[in-house]
Amino acid sequence: MKNKYLFPVILFLLAVALPFIVPEFWVHVLTEILIMGLFAASFNMIFGYMGQLSFGHAAYYGVGAYTTGLLMVKANVPLLVCLPLSMLSAGLCAAVLGYFCVKLRGIYFAILTMAFGQLVYYIIFQWYSFTGGDNGLQGIVPPAFLGKAANPYYFFTLIVVTLGMIALWIISESPFGYTMRAIRDNAERTEFIGINVQRYMHLNFIIAAVFAGLAGALWGPFNRSVAPDLCSWQHSGMPVFMTVMGGPFNFLGPLIGSAIYTLLMAFVTSFTEYWPMVSGIVIIVVVLVMPGGLLGLLRDRLPFLRQNVGRAKETNG
Amino acid sequence: MDITSLFAQFLSGLTYGTILFLVAAGLSLIFGVMNILNFAHAALWLMGAYFSYTFWSWMQGYSFAFWLSIPLAGLAAAAVGWVMEVVLIKRIYKRELYEQLLITYCIALILSDTIKLTWGVTNKLIVRPEIIQKPVFIFGAPLDSYFLFVIASGAAVAIGLWWFLKYTRYGHIVKAAVYSREMVGALGIPIPRIDTWVFTLGIFLAGFAGGIQAPIGSITLGMDTAIIIQAFCVVVIGGFGSLLGTLVGSLIVGEVMSFTILFWPEGAMVLIFVITAAILIVRPWGLFGTPMRT
Repeated sequence: MKNKYLFPVILFLLAVALPFIVPEFWVHVLTEILIMGLFAASFNMIFGYMGQLSFGHAAYYGVGAYTTGLLMVKANVPLLVCLPLSMLSAGLCAAVLGYFCVKLRGIYFAILTMAFGQLVYYIIFQWYSFTGGDNGLQGIVPPAFLGKAANPYYFFTLIVVTLGMIALWIISESPFGYTMRAIRDNAERTEFIGINVQRYMHLNFIIAAVFAGLAGALWGPFNRSVAPDLCSWQHSGMPVFMTVMGGPFNFLGPLIGSAIYTLLMAFVTSFTEYWPMVSGIVIIVVVLVMPGGLLGLLRDRLPFLRQNVGRAKETNG
Repeated sequence: MDITSLFAQFLSGLTYGTILFLVAAGLSLIFGVMNILNFAHAALWLMGAYFSYTFWSWMQGYSFAFWLSIPLAGLAAAAVGWVMEVVLIKRIYKRELYEQLLITYCIALILSDTIKLTWGVTNKLIVRPEIIQKPVFIFGAPLDSYFLFVIASGAAVAIGLWWFLKYTRYGHIVKAAVYSREMVGALGIPIPRIDTWVFTLGIFLAGFAGGIQAPIGSITLGMDTAIIIQAFCVVVIGGFGSLLGTLVGSLIVGEVMSFTILFWPEGAMVLIFVITAAILIVRPWGLFGTPMRT
């Protein structure tokens, strides 16, 4: 087995073993880490690999969550059928909105994704008859075969998230993934060697949204409900936080970031309600002191973390 | 629908547009000169509203308390903004876009919790002086008489900024810096100092706008999260760094909101984002902006 698979395998074994050791509360936290980790990893397809900042990625997560929520509550569709349908609906949404987003770069890309995110948010928020408006949807329960305990749904999530992460890994290591890196580093030159940059970016945008939709679909049954806040711009900030904490130039960075962020939140909120302030301070420190995130910091010391993705972005814009 | 109620709707749109203009003017100025999209702008706006409440309650016995607390709120917010710039923002001008956005977003989070810690979670209410408690009628359409003051302040700020940019030496420097920071620096003008003062001026405007906002309704936590995105929309529609654009953008957003609420209340915000997205797609630099470095 090659060195680069060692770290992910250790993580996976840890994820399998942990729920038998920790109390139930922490199993919920672990489930959240996995779901948000997949969400952040899908965001990083746009951010780390394509070099654009999406500030509206929660829209696709929310569309996935609502697809599953609506199908389960209103039509009693089994969860296993809902998951691919959520991926499909998020992907379709991104196919339309992403078409416009990839025409822009930099700050304009960030603002347009945010504007579209808010558009989706307000549609869900205002469409009472269909989405339940700001009440959200309640009574989304995990399928009967998973029972009511925390562990079974955790393992279900672990399987789905692992498959999702493997799929993202294969995509990011494919020629397509390397084309995205080329576009990130120099879009103009990539265009010159005959690659349709916009079409590739559009496709990547859709892929990122599909997996955000999958993560969103897992959220509803976990939380027993969905609310429009899942699409809000504040929620779009979370994968950005997580990715920056863990390290955007490493495939597992977003997942590690999700673990740090979620654990920290669970820990801090147990004794103070001022979590936003704490998270704000932590992230400012991360940005100023270790711009590569935790994995970026460890990269030079621990050789098994060194990957091609790990190369710092040298060109700007 | 008769003409009077349409006119009343127009006036309410004008008021809301003015409030948005006051928030967005500083945002646009800061982005124009420093290329920083300040997520914390609305948090400072809200802080301005709370400052205004505090000053008002300190001076409650005096007749001028109500009016004086508004500019004082601007000054207090400007002081916070100055500290923010010198301690943090200064370090990130040359950093990457996502780092700048994250830092200002985190500052917004920190400020919001600071507001909660300082002023508590109960809503604050400023009691208006008698002179502006009754509505006035303009062509038969009722208008909250305080809104006349709001609209006049918006106009005064617009004219003041225009005068500053057109006729003063510092205004010329700011305008030149919007166009090319490097060139201005090459002429021997200390860019870091200009940055600090432009940022402080922008935050003064935010705090002043907060002071203006405060007596309209009660001051509540979380008011800032909705308005920051609308201010972004205004700036995008009008064009980053363009004063005229910000003015036109805020009036467009205010009036579109006001009239859509008549015919299709659920769609008001949706329509704003459709317009913003359309502008970004067709003319990313906005109606009155100039194509800029990205």
